[in-house]
Amino acid sequence: MLIAACVKLVEIRPLVDPLTGSVDPGREVGCSAADRAAVEVVRRLAESWSARTLLISVGPPRAEPLLVELAAVGIDAAVRIDAPRGVDSSTVGRLLAATLADVGADVVVCGDYSSDRGSGSVPAFIAHHLGAAQALGLVEVHTEGPGSLRVVRRLDGGRREVAVVDAPAVMSVEGSVAELRRAPLRSVLADAVPVEVVATDVPLSVRTLPTRAFSPPTRVASAPTGTPLDRVVELTGALVERTPPRTVALDPPEAAGMILEQLRSWGYLDEPDPA
Amino acid sequence: MSGTDFDVVVVGAGPAGSAAAIEVARAGRSVCLLERGPSPGSKNMYGGVVYGRILDTLVPAWWEQAPVERWVTRRSTMLISGDQALTVDFRNPGWGEAPHNGATAYRPEFDSWLAGVAVDAGAELVCSTTATGLIREAGQVVGVRTDRPNGDLRASVVVACDGVNSFLAKEAGMYPHDDPSNFTVGVKETIALPRHVIDERFAVRGDEGVDIEILGCTGDVPGGGFVYTNRSTVAVGLVLSLPALAAGGTRPEEILRLLKAHPAIAPLIEGGEVVEYSAHVIPEAGYDMMPELVGDGILVAGDAAAMCLAAGIWLEGVNFAIGSGALAGRTAALAARRGDASAAGLAGYRSSLESSFVLSDHRRLRDAPHLVMSDLAQRVLPAVACGVVEDVFTVTNPTPKPGMRRIVRQRLRRHGVRLRDLFREGLRALRTFG
Amino acid sequence: MTASSYPEISFERRMSTVEFRVDSDRAHITVDDTVCRDCTTRGCITACPANLFVPTAAGGILFNYEQCFECGTCYLVCNEEGAITWTYPEGGHGVVFHRS
Ligand SMILES: Cc1cc2nc3c(=O)[nH]c(=O)nc-3n(C[C@H](O)[C@H](O)[C@H](O)COP(=O)(O)OP(=O)(O)OC[C@H]3O[C@@H](n4cnc5c(N)ncnc54)[C@H](O)[C@@H]3O)c2cc1C
Ligand code: SF4
Ligand code: SF4
Repeated sequence: MLIAACVKLVEIRPLVDPLTGSVDPGREVGCSAADRAAVEVVRRLAESWSARTLLISVGPPRAEPLLVELAAVGIDAAVRIDAPRGVDSSTVGRLLAATLADVGADVVVCGDYSSDRGSGSVPAFIAHHLGAAQALGLVEVHTEGPGSLRVVRRLDGGRREVAVVDAPAVMSVEGSVAELRRAPLRSVLADAVPVEVVATDVPLSVRTLPTRAFSPPTRVASAPTGTPLDRVVELTGALVERTPPRTVALDPPEAAGMILEQLRSWGYLDEPDPA
Repeated sequence: MSGTDFDVVVVGAGPAGSAAAIEVARAGRSVCLLERGPSPGSKNMYGGVVYGRILDTLVPAWWEQAPVERWVTRRSTMLISGDQALTVDFRNPGWGEAPHNGATAYRPEFDSWLAGVAVDAGAELVCSTTATGLIREAGQVVGVRTDRPNGDLRASVVVACDGVNSFLAKEAGMYPHDDPSNFTVGVKETIALPRHVIDERFAVRGDEGVDIEILGCTGDVPGGGFVYTNRSTVAVGLVLSLPALAAGGTRPEEILRLLKAHPAIAPLIEGGEVVEYSAHVIPEAGYDMMPELVGDGILVAGDAAAMCLAAGIWLEGVNFAIGSGALAGRTAALAARRGDASAAGLAGYRSSLESSFVLSDHRRLRDAPHLVMSDLAQRVLPAVACGVVEDVFTVTNPTPKPGMRRIVRQRLRRHGVRLRDLFREGLRALRTFG
Repeated sequence: MTASSYPEISFERRMSTVEFRVDSDRAHITVDDTVCRDCTTRGCITACPANLFVPTAAGGILFNYEQCFECGTCYLVCNEEGAITWTYPEGGHGVVFHRS
């Protein structure tokens, strides 16, 4: 059996100019916490299933040191699919799926989002191309025996969904699922896992263009009318009718009760819980 | 050699460690350079100036490749008293030309660059790995333990370049005591400003930079301040005596706030945005606090051996770290080749330090820290100097101008200093710096 | 001294400029605050540049390791044997400077 982790090289400390909104990606590169969690999940599954492991990434040659570093935790092989940064998600999904199909990966684990404004769609594209089951945005992954998994997914409103997934399957995991173990000193010192490079036909000219910061269109506002007094009255709302504020002095429990009652009367709270 | 992973293990990829690793690798021995930070320099902060002369032999034409922010062409010393300031300002455009003198640089960049030189020379750099202890056999150090799984690393010689807290030198029993009065703590803000604003405010052009050391700005805590220019940031910081700080002195950031608000400093940094705050301890006492430098299978270099030359606020640590690290590396490589890593086999380190600038400068300037931290230098000198200059420059007519000698005597008296004491301290300073 | 025309940043804002890769599994520094109760100097409170030592009403010390510069000031000024256990964080964790 072969289990693969997909990771993406990203800048880990981008700087956003608060005034212009322009982003300086910074020089430091790495991968997201979710991607690291994916590598750890692969490592754990491989241990309990005695499976082989593969680390795979679509990216430029600059991504290779990252693959080497991650592979030192005990991944058997690493592949870089050669493509420039900024390739769109469907292409990344197609490229990954092609290589994963070639090597015969049974289970594929990705991070749920890459941290550079990822949309989390790459794993779905991979699953589509492989015709595999997909379980995305997982918060827990447990094994039920070789090739079979019980996973937990986060749903809206704090609810959880438990699913059983069988290989072939593609999963994406949140960063909190597992913390990547430390690579043993021996594997850091040993000759690194060689990174195999797969050539692609993606044109190198694909580049995202910088966008300008949003600036709202100018609106023409008419000059205020009326006397200065009218303006002051209008701006302060002094003569408008309103509920006057009330000041009460109560013990904390009663005060709490009164706050709740008031919030309820404004419609912020549901009716009191019968329990 | 059998039973070892490397000829030499160097702990700490600061300037001392990288220099050591460069020398070992160039001598053709295998060397592992361990660093606990995710990259070399990521744990390190300093004031801001690297004095590069020591690099000339280690990395020829280093100025063409090192990540330098600005070349220091203006050095000032400022005495602050109340809201007055007296500055001695020296400009030397010559320092802006190769081979240069001092350069401002960010340590994460500088240290990564120097470690890169070591890697190019053949050293094996391993980051994100903390050395947690020494491996010893029959009293001889034969390697280090690290916090990675299967993390023991065996070597003929361990070079401890692990900085001011050096737990390795302490574990080896070479560092007997932690007297807080031997240490100061440095805090600093890195403040971002547009490059042309820095050029204008500090009156420099292009790659030229400024370095200002300040006395009298630390209130109830002995110490000093500094201002350094980078390309588009200004570093403003303090060096503060630990015992006074601990004795309920003003907190560091409050002293820094007051310095930044001082009329001589505020206009330089106004409108800037703090982009990093940092702190680090400095081994201040130099020669008088140095540990044993050589043990069986172990050498200590750089801040780990208190090699930082700290005359209060005039800090030269990076150059002394590189100097001592390089000598330690050479000795370690030689010992590995000869197969004798006992203290006797490594003794050449101490003697080569003695005959280099490292220990001769330290011995000569051993009194400097006390002088700069003395009450006279901290309070009296700034106050008297500012006062005298105020009296000289204040035009008092129609009252006739007082004579210079009278001004000085009056000012001294006002601060309760006797001429005799001043004379004695002056002599001491002359003996130290002369 | 005259005040600068720019407001000073808050301590929280100051510390937020620093990157800390916190090791959530292990505190690299621990403080035994039963020892601190007998301490007369309490140097750590004013000296720690990250202001991580907070006196409690009960006479002890509340310590939080997460935003630590790993500078060593605290153990150097602490004069009560055994109050502070000081180690470096696991490799790759802790403070990371960029422009210092
Ligand atoms: C506020 C301040 C201002 C200064 N100003 C200047 C200046 O302007 N000019 C100047 O020349 N000097 C200056 N210095 C002094 C200078 O920074 C030091 O002397 C110099 O950094 C010492 O170099 P080093 O290599 O010995 O130690 P460090 O630079 O401290 O390097 C030690 C390295 O070892 C690593 N390490 C520590 N323990 C371990 C371990 N157990 N396992 C693995 N790795 C470990 C650390 O992460 C670090 O990278 C200043 C210092 C301070 C604090
Ligand atoms: S100085 Fe030491 S003993 Fe005293 S309060 Fe601080 S940590 Fe506790
Ligand atoms: S090491 Fe420095 S920053 Fe960390 S707790 Fe101690 S004094 Fe504070």
